[in-house]
Amino acid sequence: MSKSDKMPRGAAERGSGAGSDPSETVEAMPHDLTGQPRAGSGRRAFLGGVALGAAALGAARRARAADRTEIGFASAKFFGKETVAQVVEMYNSSQGRVHVSYDELPPPSDSTAVHQLLVQQLARRNGSPDVFTQDVIWIAEFAGAGWALALDDAFGAEVRKDYFPGVGVACTWGGKLTALPWFIDSGMLYYRTDLLGGAKVPETWDELVKIAQATQKSGGARFGFLWQGKQAEVLVCDLVSFITGNGGAILGPDGKTVLLDEEKTVAAVEFMRDTIAGTKISPQDVLSWDEEPSRRPFTGGQAAFLRNWSYVYTIAQDPKVSSVVGKVGVAPLPHFAGGQSSACLGGYQYGVNASTKKREAALDFVHWMSSPATQLHFATELGLAPTRAAVFDEPALAKSQPFMQTLKPVFVGATPRPVTPKYAQVTLVLQSAVSRALAEGNVKQALSGAKERIATIVGS
Amino acid sequence: MSRVAAAGGAITRAPPAFAITRTRRIDWPPLLLLLPTAISLGSVCVYPILGGLWLSLHNTMLATRENRFVGWLNYRTLAADPDFWSAWRHTLEFTAVSTLAETVIGLGMALLLVEWFPGRGLVRAAMLIPWAMPTVVTSKMFGWLFDGQNGLVNWMLRSLHLIGGNIDWYGSPNTALGTIVIADVWKTAPFMALLLLAGLQTIPGSLLEAARIDGAGAWQAFWRVRLPMLTPILLIAAMFRALDAFRIFDLVYVLTGGGPADSTEVLSTLTYKTLFSALEFGYGSALATAMFATEAAIALCFGILIAHSLRRQER
Repeated sequence: MSKSDKMPRGAAERGSGAGSDPSETVEAMPHDLTGQPRAGSGRRAFLGGVALGAAALGAARRARAADRTEIGFASAKFFGKETVAQVVEMYNSSQGRVHVSYDELPPPSDSTAVHQLLVQQLARRNGSPDVFTQDVIWIAEFAGAGWALALDDAFGAEVRKDYFPGVGVACTWGGKLTALPWFIDSGMLYYRTDLLGGAKVPETWDELVKIAQATQKSGGARFGFLWQGKQAEVLVCDLVSFITGNGGAILGPDGKTVLLDEEKTVAAVEFMRDTIAGTKISPQDVLSWDEEPSRRPFTGGQAAFLRNWSYVYTIAQDPKVSSVVGKVGVAPLPHFAGGQSSACLGGYQYGVNASTKKREAALDFVHWMSSPATQLHFATELGLAPTRAAVFDEPALAKSQPFMQTLKPVFVGATPRPVTPKYAQVTLVLQSAVSRALAEGNVKQALSGAKERIATIVGS
Repeated sequence: MSRVAAAGGAITRAPPAFAITRTRRIDWPPLLLLLPTAISLGSVCVYPILGGLWLSLHNTMLATRENRFVGWLNYRTLAADPDFWSAWRHTLEFTAVSTLAETVIGLGMALLLVEWFPGRGLVRAAMLIPWAMPTVVTSKMFGWLFDGQNGLVNWMLRSLHLIGGNIDWYGSPNTALGTIVIADVWKTAPFMALLLLAGLQTIPGSLLEAARIDGAGAWQAFWRVRLPMLTPILLIAAMFRALDAFRIFDLVYVLTGGGPADSTEVLSTLTYKTLFSALEFGYGSALATAMFATEAAIALCFGILIAHSLRRQER
């Protein structure tokens, strides 16, 4: 199970769960959005510099180190041209008050392990680690357990104003801001510019179905539209974008009301089923596909449309593995008539340990990490897309990450998955029920069954 | 198993019984020598089982920090949990079908390999390759073989005109579990063959020779001489296999993740999800205990059969 794909950047790597080759995407990741291989020598030079500096300053340094507040920071492993550790070092050398020691957790592809390690550490309530990063779907769980410090006083107004709206919602639990956005990814629509045949990029699902069927009929592509229907976390991600795109929801804003059998929700899932059984724009294979298996036919030139995360773009433009170089465009996912485009939100966020004994230092560090300048650095050096909308307009980003810059409108519609401390249990019920609905066709019945079970989980 | 030991050891145990009646004092040195074994077995075997059992009587959840004794509550939830029963049924189906197929195919392979032919040593060694392969590799391989679009199996069936269009093996609830059984049979039949080959070699050649002189054909010799002699080993091998198959995890985890529509969810994957994704340690332990109980029941059934067949052989 891969209890996979909570985190879109890692999602493809996690596709290793099912028939994808992990190495190809792991390799692709560092290039992801940066377009450049990571520089190993730069790191060595950097470390050398640190050693030299330490030797030269000697005693003076030691005296100063004693004055600094020591805090711990735990994060899943991300890297591009630089690593998270290097960014932490940048903070350490930028000021003399706080020293952060970085504890690297496994990569997001091993999401279950990262989650477990964090839960074990936070549950001890001894203030370690003072600052941590978390997948977007753990926020409510950590906040509900009382492990995450409320950040309203320090950041509240800023987050509601400067960040993408969906990210702000995801970081809020019980009316309080309990996480601070780090980077974003979301589902998006990939299309073939050469197959549109003069039509504009579809904005509604009806338009997409029409273009897809026409393309299949004319022999332009074997498949109309590819998505991910495997009984895994990615299915919930796809589900959220369909349901929200029809104005429906899985959980009400109170986090307790289950809206799974509402008319709009059922209609959205029926549309998902129809892509396979009715309009036949999707092959039945999507029921066993997660990210990578669905990406391959698209970059192989066999499909007109694909729903996937931002990592696909780099692969689609690599002539070694893609036969559609220069023919791929990206747009926000379509919506239903009367709905609004929505995509499943992914990404990691900062959290401050509620038991930290060094609150000031922790907040100072998080403040620096979430500043526009640091977000820009993460974008250009690690390929992590900013959660602050304004950073997308920076010329430096346009220069080093032209593709990332085009994603701004996609991220505006990013919608969080159900926000509940019991998400880990809720998602298992959703995966099972929706997979059943798609495979067997009894949509209403499957969703009503899931509604009852989810109500028991979130109500208790 | 204990009944096997009892049946097999019945004859040899008689003289030591004498020794005990002669000296009533407890003989400490042998018992002390057993102590290291008892401690190591106790700490790695008995303690975790009892610990799991104890945990299953609590509502322990890592995230909510709940950790109360709730008695049999988890087991009552379990009894009413459709997910558990569907996973339980899938696991039993998988175990029964794969064990049966592996035993029959393994027996066929063993019967071939016990005969002499040029290059037999090489074939015997090569036979073990599927079994020696890491299961994740096997999973990936079968993932590609049964791929719904570009898989070799679909291509072959289409070329033979057995199917009209491609079948999405892992995407349909009707075929997914069967496909996983096929992968498991391919991987583990050689292991059965190895065990049964060893069993066949213990049957004295003179018996087969005598049968032949009495005019028995190959078929008769198999049913009347080889199979009866082999039955206990066959049952022991099948028991090993069944207990192992019941724990099926990696093939499902890599190939389907339990889907579609829960059709390949087995107890191991369900327990894994409950324990490590949802971090429900209490309920997860109840699932694990239910698995343990079912395995114990399977072992008991085989134990009775084995004891029975041994007794018949002694007669």
